[in-house]
Amino acid sequence: MDVIYGLAHGFSVALLPANLLWCFVGCFLGTIIGIIPGLGPAATIAILLPVTYNMDPTGGIIMLCGIYYGAKYGGSTTSILLKMPGEASSVISCLDGYEMARKGRPGQALGIAAISSFVAGTVGVILLSFLAPPIAEFALSFSSPEYFALMLMGLALVVLLAGDDILKTILSLLLGLWLASIGTDLFTAQPRFTFGQTSLLDGIDFMSLAIGVFAISEILMSISAREKVRLVTIPKGLRNLLPSREELRACRFAFFNGSITGFIIGVLPGAGSTISSFVSYGIEKAVSRHPEKFGTGVPEGLAAPEGANNADTGGALLPVLTLGIPGGSSTAILMSALVLWGVRPGPLLMTEQPDIFWGLVASMYVGNIVLLIMNLPLVGLFTQILRIPLYVLFPIIIGVSIAGAYSTSGSMFDIGLLIAFGLLGYGMQQLRFPAGPLILGFVLGDAMERALRQSLTMSNGDPLILVDRPISAILLALAALILVSPLLGRLRRRNTVQAS
Amino acid sequence: MMLLKKGMSALFALCATFGVAHAEDWKPRHVVNVIVHTGPGAGADAFARAVINVIEQEKLSTARFVVVNKTGGGSTNAINYLASKEGDDNTLGVYASNWTTDYLVQKDATTSLQSLTPIANMIFEPALIMVRADSKFKSLKDFIDAAKAEPNKLKQAGGTPLGRDAMLRHILVASTGAQWPLVSFPSGGERLSAILGGHVDTLVMDGSEVGDFLSSGKLRALAQVSDEKVPTFPADVPTVREAGYDIRIPLQPRGIVAPPKMSPEAADYYRKLFAKAVETPAWKKYVEDTRVQTNFIAGDDLASFFGTVADNTRAALKSADIPVLR
Repeated sequence: MDVIYGLAHGFSVALLPANLLWCFVGCFLGTIIGIIPGLGPAATIAILLPVTYNMDPTGGIIMLCGIYYGAKYGGSTTSILLKMPGEASSVISCLDGYEMARKGRPGQALGIAAISSFVAGTVGVILLSFLAPPIAEFALSFSSPEYFALMLMGLALVVLLAGDDILKTILSLLLGLWLASIGTDLFTAQPRFTFGQTSLLDGIDFMSLAIGVFAISEILMSISAREKVRLVTIPKGLRNLLPSREELRACRFAFFNGSITGFIIGVLPGAGSTISSFVSYGIEKAVSRHPEKFGTGVPEGLAAPEGANNADTGGALLPVLTLGIPGGSSTAILMSALVLWGVRPGPLLMTEQPDIFWGLVASMYVGNIVLLIMNLPLVGLFTQILRIPLYVLFPIIIGVSIAGAYSTSGSMFDIGLLIAFGLLGYGMQQLRFPAGPLILGFVLGDAMERALRQSLTMSNGDPLILVDRPISAILLALAALILVSPLLGRLRRRNTVQAS
Repeated sequence: MMLLKKGMSALFALCATFGVAHAEDWKPRHVVNVIVHTGPGAGADAFARAVINVIEQEKLSTARFVVVNKTGGGSTNAINYLASKEGDDNTLGVYASNWTTDYLVQKDATTSLQSLTPIANMIFEPALIMVRADSKFKSLKDFIDAAKAEPNKLKQAGGTPLGRDAMLRHILVASTGAQWPLVSFPSGGERLSAILGGHVDTLVMDGSEVGDFLSSGKLRALAQVSDEKVPTFPADVPTVREAGYDIRIPLQPRGIVAPPKMSPEAADYYRKLFAKAVETPAWKKYVEDTRVQTNFIAGDDLASFFGTVADNTRAALKSADIPVLR
C-alpha cells in the first residue's frame, strides 16, 4: 500500500538524528510561544524564516511545523491556570479549564489538555496520512453558502452555551457580533464604526478582547471580592496531579469529538482552529447528559476544544500540502517558507518530493509524542505558579497581558482597548451576563457576515442559494434542530412528569 | 558600545583629516528600521524580508535591517508613521500599490506616496488571469463575450475592491461593456479554493502565487497581466493586449521609500545599495523563484512614476464608481 510505504519512508527521514533534533527544537519553541500571549505561531515562524533559509528544507519545515502545533499545546496552560489565553484557539479552554483549576484540580486540567491534544493531534495526522487526496476534494465542495450554514450552526450552539437567562445570552451575543463588524468592510473598502480612529480600521484584535474579558476582569473580580479567596491547596507529587481514570473516561467522547470536528473544520480554508475549538465545545455540550454543568469545570468541556485545536493542525496542513492552498496565516507562512526553499507545495509534492511530504507527516507523529513527554512533567512545575501570592501574581498577569496586546500591533491604542474590555468583562460579571456568547459572536460574526454576502453576490441576491446546495441545506437543518432540541427536551420532561 | 565608540572616533579622525566627510562616506551606523504595512508573512512583509535577505547574503551593508510591522487601515498607519519620521536617515518603508490607492479613497490616509522621499522601485509583480483547467473558456475573448451575453452570470474571486485584481476587472468591464461581479474573499487560500471548487469562474493570480497550479493541470491561464511577456510565465499565454484588449495594465509595483526630508547623502547611499542588490545572484534567484520582474526605477524617475500611478489609479477607481477623495 502506497501510504504504508510512504510513511515507512517518512519515518526513515524523520528519525534521522538531525531531523529529530529540529522536531524537538520546534516543539519546544512552540510550547513557549504558546504559553506567552501576544507572540503567536505565525509571527514566530515569520521571524525565524531567515534563520532557516540555509537549512535543509526537510529539517526546516519539520522545525517550523513543530512551532505551529507546539503552540497549540502551550496555549492552554495559561488559560487553565490564570484565565489568560496564550493563543486564540485556547480562549474557550478558559471556561472549564480555569474552573477546574479553581476547584483544586489544576494539574488534572493541564493533564487532560495535554492528553487530549496528543490523542486528537495524532488522529489528525493519521487522517492526514491516509485520507489526504479524497478529503482535499471534499473540502473544495465547501463554499460560501456552506460556510454560512456552518457558522449559523455555531451560533445556534450559543443558545446551548446559554445559562438560565436567554435574554442576557442574546444581548451578549449581539454585542460580540457588533464588535466583529468594526473595521474596514472587505466588500466596499469603507470603514464601519471606527469613529475616525485609524487604529480601528483593521478591526478589534481578538486577543485584546479575550484577555480583557477573561483575565483582566477576573483580576478585578478577585480584588473587589470581600473575602480574600486563596486558590485551593495543590496536592503534592506528580501522580496526584494527573487526571484520574474517571476523568479520562468522562472525556472519551470529547477525544473523539475534538479529533473529528477539529480535523474537518481544519481542512476548510478560512475557518481555522479558533472556530473548531468553539464548535467542538458546543457539540460536546449538546450531546452531554449534564449540559448545565458546562462552565463549572467539567473535564470534557476542556478536552473537546483542546483536542479540536490540535486535530486542526493535520486538517489545516492537508490543503497546503496536497493543493497548495493555505487556509490561515500560519499555514500561509509555512507555505511561503517551502516556496523560499524551492519546494512547490501542491498536487505533485507527494510524488515528486516524498522526503518532504512524508518526512513532515512522520515528524508530526514524533512531535506529538515529544510534546506529550515534554508537557506532562511540566504539569508539576506549572501548577507551582498558583502558589505565588496574588499580590505578586496579579501585577505579572497584567504586565504580560499588556505586553501581549502591544506586541501584536505595536500600538498603545490596543492597550487602551484591553483595559476597556477588562472593565466591560467586570461589569458583565457583576450583572451576571455570560462572556462566552460575546466571544463566540465575535469569532463567528465576521466570517458569517462575509459568507452570507459572498453567497448573495454569487447568486445575484437570491437567498435560495443557501438551501439549494445539499451540504448547506443539511447544515441549516442541523442548526434548526439544535435550536429546537432544548424545547423538545423540555416538552418531553413535562410529558413524563404529567404521565407519572 | 565599544563598536559605537570605535566608529565615532574613526569618524572624528576622518572629519579631522578632510574637514567634512564626503557624501559617499555616509553609512547607516546602526539599525535601519524597515516599515511594512502588513503582518508577518503577508506580501509586503515577505518582500521586505526577501530584500533584507539578499543584502545580508551578499554582504552589501554592515548595518542591520529590521522589519517593523505597522499594520492598520491597509497602508494608512505605516505611511503616516513614515511621515512622522521626517528627516530620519535610518528608517525606510516598503510600498505596494495600496499605498497609492488608500490615499485616494480613505479619509484617514492623509499622507501621499509622493510626499515621501523616493528611493527605489524594485519589482513589478505580474499576474495571470486564470480559469479552472476544465473551463469552457479557451481565451480571454471567450470569457468576456460570455460575460457580455449573460451579464452577472460569471464571477471573479478577489479581495477588496481596491486591489490590483479588482482594478483590472473595473477597467475591463468599463472598456468592453461586459459585466461580472467580484466576490471578495479575505485570503488567497479562500480565493483559490473557490475557483478550484468551481464556485467562481475566474481569478487574477500574482506570479508568486502561481506555484505548480499550471504544471499540475489544475488551472489554465487565459492572459498575462503585464505590458510585456514575462519570461517565467508560459510563452503560449498572450498578454491582455495581445489577447485583443488594448487597456492600460494596472501595475503592482513594490519598492522602497524613505521619510520626507531624508538627507541627500543617506538617500543616495540607499539608492546605490538597492541598485547593487538587484544585480546580485541572490536577487536573481529570488526573482526566478517568485516569478516577479525586476523593474529598477530610482530618483526623479521614481517621483514621476508615483505621479503616473496615482493618476491611472484615480481614473480606474472613477470608472468603477468608487468615490475618490483626493
